[in-house]
Amino acid sequence: MLAQHVSKWYGPRRAVTEVSFTIEPGEIVGLLGPNGSGKSTIFRILCGYLAPSSGTVAVAGYDVMTDSLDVRRAISYVPEDAPLYDHMRVEEFLRFMARIKGLRGASAASAVEAAAARLDLGAVMTMPAGKLSRGFRQRVSIAQALLGDPQLLVLDEPTSGLDPHQVIAVRDLIRALAGRHTVLIASHVLPEIEKIATRVMILLDGTLLTTDALKGNREHPALRLRAAGPEAAIRAAITAVAGVRSVAAVLGDGAAETAAPACYLIEAERRPALAPEIIAVLTGRGIAVSELSEAAPDLERIFLDLTRRPLKAAA
Amino acid sequence: MRNFAVLLLKEETALFSSPIAYVVMTVFLLIMGYSFTLTLFLSHQPSLVHIFFQMFVLFMLTVPLITMRLLAEERKLRTLEVLLTAPVSEIEIVLAKFVASMSLIALMLLLSGSYAAVLVLFGDPDLGPIYSGYLGLLLFGAALVGAGLLASALTSNQVVAALISLSVFLLLWIIDNFGWLLPSPFDALVTNLSLSVHFRPFAVGSVYLSDVGFFLSVALLMLLLSVRALARR
Repeated sequence: MLAQHVSKWYGPRRAVTEVSFTIEPGEIVGLLGPNGSGKSTIFRILCGYLAPSSGTVAVAGYDVMTDSLDVRRAISYVPEDAPLYDHMRVEEFLRFMARIKGLRGASAASAVEAAAARLDLGAVMTMPAGKLSRGFRQRVSIAQALLGDPQLLVLDEPTSGLDPHQVIAVRDLIRALAGRHTVLIASHVLPEIEKIATRVMILLDGTLLTTDALKGNREHPALRLRAAGPEAAIRAAITAVAGVRSVAAVLGDGAAETAAPACYLIEAERRPALAPEIIAVLTGRGIAVSELSEAAPDLERIFLDLTRRPLKAAA
Repeated sequence: MRNFAVLLLKEETALFSSPIAYVVMTVFLLIMGYSFTLTLFLSHQPSLVHIFFQMFVLFMLTVPLITMRLLAEERKLRTLEVLLTAPVSEIEIVLAKFVASMSLIALMLLLSGSYAAVLVLFGDPDLGPIYSGYLGLLLFGAALVGAGLLASALTSNQVVAALISLSVFLLLWIIDNFGWLLPSPFDALVTNLSLSVHFRPFAVGSVYLSDVGFFLSVALLMLLLSVRALARR
């Protein structure tokens, strides 16, 4: 998928400003942004529901405006709040969706069966969609998107309204789709995106602030070190290791009770055998290491940094 | 057009699973049955001319109820988003909704055919005006459904869609009354927009190509505009 300089105006209001990004096959890309930042508008443009005011979008080599039907064959979309035909029974709805996606006869039946099994819809297949709980509506909506084996799945807030068990199930399902499908997922919930996406794009007020918020973390991983000893000696030992960019003392468990900090965050160049080398240097200087692990990227900090910057610039 | 049959089946199911279809049919048949019986007993004439004129008025009042939900409801419930991000064309969607609505109109006319059957069984009616009257009502119904569909494509509020349709129908019903007041050539132009001017010959047994063309053109134009309204997003 390739979006170039996409903008969308609703009358005098600009909802999306010059958004450009590329998504490679097999990626799970998260689009993170506060409510009202333009995520749904971008998704509607990508799926051919809305026309961009300017810019172009190509999906699987097809232009979303001129080859709209080809694009819609390659994409499946799960809109926010899972709109369904309330008068239809779940099975009837899934069969209808399978047929308009070009599946007929036995292949439509087996696709519906597989999607229903994957989303655990067996108990509600004969129920009218209007009588379903929020969680089941969401799952039916995701099930219809899986029909026809689309190349690209676009999911707008797919876990909203689900209970924690269902959230985990949907998250696992999306992870399982990786590789076979390309997935683009929008959410305003940071931990959600953090747990699912392999790449995160951040959107604020219709402007894409970054197309890869975790790039810095990948290139310069942060290591979390727990070691006992004088802070100056630990800092000196770590900075002596080639590739270490910075060392920062952070609050660890029980840090308040000890004079010296026990936890450190080390930012370094990504290179092999970095961790064993740090351990070797520290133990060589008589410092006991109780933990050295790769710290999870702090998306919250990245998000806050990125979203504050434009506000400061505007001020 | 490979998805037309699938969409049509969905529309027929939606139409006949909603109470509106049955309420409209019941009200239509009750009023027409009462009117037919009364007219027959009072006039002793084996003719449906009066019934056709009453059906003409009743169609203008009931078609907005049939068409108001067609696209406005899909827009409001956001199922249009599901439909239009699937590989179906706007033409298929509009045509499926049009044909489904016309099937209800056709069913209403078919059931009202019992009045003609009564006349044939117990009298000797002139069948020409009966055939032409039904043809006229079918074409008139197509034009109304087309216009109602367009109104429904323009808003997400069903009541607004129904009111737009009703206002347009009533205006086009009586517009010939204003036509006589206008200078030439505007008088002919306005008079020829009148629904009643084009329907009247059908009801009394005359089928003019111009009247057939008028209703077909209106239906086609409305369908084209509905497709455009749906495509302009």
